[in-house]
Amino acid sequence: MNSLNAIKDRSRRRCRGFSFAVAFATILLQGCSDNAAYEAAVCVLADVSGTYADEKEEIVKITKSRIVSKMLPGDSLFFIRIDSNSYNEDDLIANLQLDYTPSKANQQKIAMGSRLDEFAQAETRSRYTDISGAMMLCTDHLNTTKSGNRILFVFSDMKEELKPNLKRQFAADEFENIHVAAMNVIKLNADSANPKVYRDRLSEWEERILNAGAHSWGVFNDSARIPDYIQQLR
Amino acid sequence: MEILYIWPNMPVLSLSVLIVGSMVFLFLARTPIHNALESLTDGSSGGLQEIANWAYDFAGKIRERDRKVLLESGVTAHKHKLLDEFQRVDISFSKNLAEYPGLQRRLDDHISKLEADYSECGQAVPAAPGWDDAVASIAKLSGTSGDRVIEKMLTEIHKSAVDGEKRALSELRSTTSQRHKILSGMATTWKLADKALKDIGEKISSVLETSERMDKYMTDFQKINKGNEESIDMLSSRANRMFIATSIVMAAAVAGAFVNFNLIALPMSEMVPAGSRILGMPVSSFSALIIILLEFVTGIFFWESIGFTHIIPQIGMMQRSRRRWITYLSLFFLLLLSCVEASLGFLREMMAEQAAVIEQQMAGAEVAVGDSAGSAWAKYGQAGLGFALPLILAMTMMALENFIETSQHAASKLMALIVTLFGHICKMLSFILGYIIKIIMHLYDAYIIVPLQISNLVTRKAIT
Repeated sequence: MNSLNAIKDRSRRRCRGFSFAVAFATILLQGCSDNAAYEAAVCVLADVSGTYADEKEEIVKITKSRIVSKMLPGDSLFFIRIDSNSYNEDDLIANLQLDYTPSKANQQKIAMGSRLDEFAQAETRSRYTDISGAMMLCTDHLNTTKSGNRILFVFSDMKEELKPNLKRQFAADEFENIHVAAMNVIKLNADSANPKVYRDRLSEWEERILNAGAHSWGVFNDSARIPDYIQQLR
Repeated sequence: MEILYIWPNMPVLSLSVLIVGSMVFLFLARTPIHNALESLTDGSSGGLQEIANWAYDFAGKIRERDRKVLLESGVTAHKHKLLDEFQRVDISFSKNLAEYPGLQRRLDDHISKLEADYSECGQAVPAAPGWDDAVASIAKLSGTSGDRVIEKMLTEIHKSAVDGEKRALSELRSTTSQRHKILSGMATTWKLADKALKDIGEKISSVLETSERMDKYMTDFQKINKGNEESIDMLSSRANRMFIATSIVMAAAVAGAFVNFNLIALPMSEMVPAGSRILGMPVSSFSALIIILLEFVTGIFFWESIGFTHIIPQIGMMQRSRRRWITYLSLFFLLLLSCVEASLGFLREMMAEQAAVIEQQMAGAEVAVGDSAGSAWAKYGQAGLGFALPLILAMTMMALENFIETSQHAASKLMALIVTLFGHICKMLSFILGYIIKIIMHLYDAYIIVPLQISNLVTRKAIT
């Protein structure tokens, strides 16, 4: 009888020990779990005003081949149009958050590609260029994601022409934790005549963006650098 | 420099006064400063010397501990070897000696048969003594007596004698042929006896071989048990060799694990899709890592259960039937993991192919899934690799025990080397510091040489 009790005690102790071990392992794994956001959120601004409207197809091509195809499960993409009044939800052409399952993410990428193709084929051209409004809309959307790496690509000639009644003032922390890059900045006739105009314009933008708390500012004319740039920021 | 001038207008005078003043001061302070420098020597150089001695002692202790561990592991390893050999001897003896009585009986039967045949060969009818000579004498008498009756009688005797001889000759021939038959029959028995003897010889030589091997193990065991320098050197050299070999195996295992991880990490994201991370690693990659670790663990259990390794003593102490259960379970799980990995390898190639197609589609090309040539080969190749890698990884675990044991020795050796080197450096610094302080003392004396010499002259005069 005593030996039976001893066996029962031992098995009870073992069960308790095992439960403790499982609980300890769970707590340890939970403790080791990492809450940092490794996903990237990319926002692409496409200028459809003036002469830059002709670059739409090129913008879509670059976005599809250099950004969408390289996106990883969990990443987000916002595609916003720059027109006369860009701080408008109608200018959010496409919005995508990739599923964590790779096969579903691939299907989402194909669907995104189709939507971008539709945008490229649509006849859209605006008179004014509200870059700041598009940037602010983009910031709003980027801030809704929990992504750790937020990148804003501006496909434009960077010449802003606001409608007379529009007011665009960046907050001091407007671009906090956001990397901003101007892409494919084509040179206007005035720029070709005097390069200083082009350089001063870019310098002004750099100052505005950095003063609004951007993490970094860059100008890329070679779209092949985009995947490396995103990879570097991850 | 100008700050030192007592009279700024007269720098030479200022410097001269300063030098003379400092000489006088340093001369008067010579004894306490010398004492202070000597104390500094004792403190720093002596302290370093102490640290060096401690390092040498510590290195010695590490070596001693390593020596003990080597001896202990050597003794244990030889005990295991001897036990294994005893088991083998037990099996071999039971098998060989069980067959021995049968062989002996067969040999006895053959020998008895040979003896019987031999004795049968020896049974020949002896010829009547002097019979041939009598027949020859009677044959010579024929025709010499002249009596017809005697002549006829003699002729009859001669005839019957010749007939008898002929009969005896024929009988002899038939007996000889019968003996030849028996002798030729004996050859087979001889051959059988020879085979039986050879069998016995083989069994005995196998037993002798095992005994010789045991004898060698026993000699080694005795040598190691004595714990002399020779046995330590032998164990150390064996441990070093083993460490190098097992390190290569372990490096191969790590490389294999890396390949395996890359093979299954991507398809695991399809099976375990999650945004959270553990230790900076996506949950899917972490799961892939766990699968590989499970393969290692299964390998360890398998080798433990068949008694090849002794990392977990509890398994070794289990009953044979329970251990057999563990062996079957390990094999079952290993095969299960292999099958899972084979399917993951297959899935990986499909996913990679799909990703490549999407990338091309995004770049503007019109490509459909399945267009890529040779993809079937790649799929089956990766599935095969996925199946083989877990088995290979599990196999490498047979070297784990030796690696753990020998790495302990290698780490101890390295540690002792580092500590000894540290001791040498401390000793060297101690010497250098001691000499530097001595040089400073000499330079001090050289600076105050003038008042020192005057003092020497005065004290000598005073003494005289």
